[in-house]
Amino acid sequence: MGTDYLKAARGIRKVSPVVTVAAAATPENLYLVSVGATVGRTVIVRKIMCYSVVGNCVVQIGIGLAPLVPIFPFLYVINLFDTEWMEDEIPEVELNQNITVQSDILGVQVQIECEEIGT
Amino acid sequence: MPTLPMLHTYKAGPIEQVVLPGETVGIWVNKVYEFYKIQYVEGIMRSDPVTIDLGALGALGLSALTQVTLLQMPDKEFAQFRMETLDDVEIGVYQGRADQRHKLFTRAATLNRFLPLFDPDAHITEMYEFEDNFIFLQAINQTAYAQTQARVVFWGFRYVLEILDQYSWRKQVLPDVWTRIPATAHL
Repeated sequence: MGTDYLKAARGIRKVSPVVTVAAAATPENLYLVSVGATVGRTVIVRKIMCYSVVGNCVVQIGIGLAPLVPIFPFLYVINLFDTEWMEDEIPEVELNQNITVQSDILGVQVQIECEEIGT
Repeated sequence: MPTLPMLHTYKAGPIEQVVLPGETVGIWVNKVYEFYKIQYVEGIMRSDPVTIDLGALGALGLSALTQVTLLQMPDKEFAQFRMETLDDVEIGVYQGRADQRHKLFTRAATLNRFLPLFDPDAHITEMYEFEDNFIFLQAINQTAYAQTQARVVFWGFRYVLEILDQYSWRKQVLPDVWTRIPATAHL
């Protein structure tokens, strides 16, 4: 039995801005989940893109700002390589909070594509 | 043996006309049905001229309740529309400025960007506009960021009518066979 049914859209696709991490080891907002008028939405990270010109670094994506709670294992970003994780490679973690990012080195660029679920 | 078409309002699947030329409709307007014979039917394509932009919205903002004048029909005509929002906004639908459509007791359902996932033909959005019984729309931004536009696109059919004044809803003198067209809110 195939798994294509797992890829059927459950929601609508959105993207985060391209965030350039502003401070080392400091969480910051990456994607703000839409709040919804009465019933909140949830969000699943589908794609992650990172690029570094500031050296190899470790990026964490998670929830919360103090501290960041990771939702994936650490992501290792190699200097001067575009680094991508596509949806087949990413666990389907569904959240109802803003998604945050931090890196051990400031200056790495991060962008995610998300699927928002709700009404 | 050919089968007769099964035409009715809110039909599931791609939009179809709800009546054929020569058939009789009762249009619900001003709390009565008014009776007409269909003379002519033609398509209204999903296209730029029948798209409205309700404007830019701040985070969690809402637009003015907007009279959709672009959907106005001439005298003795009505139109059947389906609609879809192209942006991540919620759209409240009214017919009569104060009369919400798609009503429950305490809530009214709204158009939204998720709807095509579950109703790709938008059949549940079907609306009817008779002459100048305007549709009004209000866009609500549920996201935490500003949006530059709130677009709604329409498509459907136009119906040209001939008055059948031998029938009367008030006197309950009714045609034998007729199709009900809900062209205003049922309050």
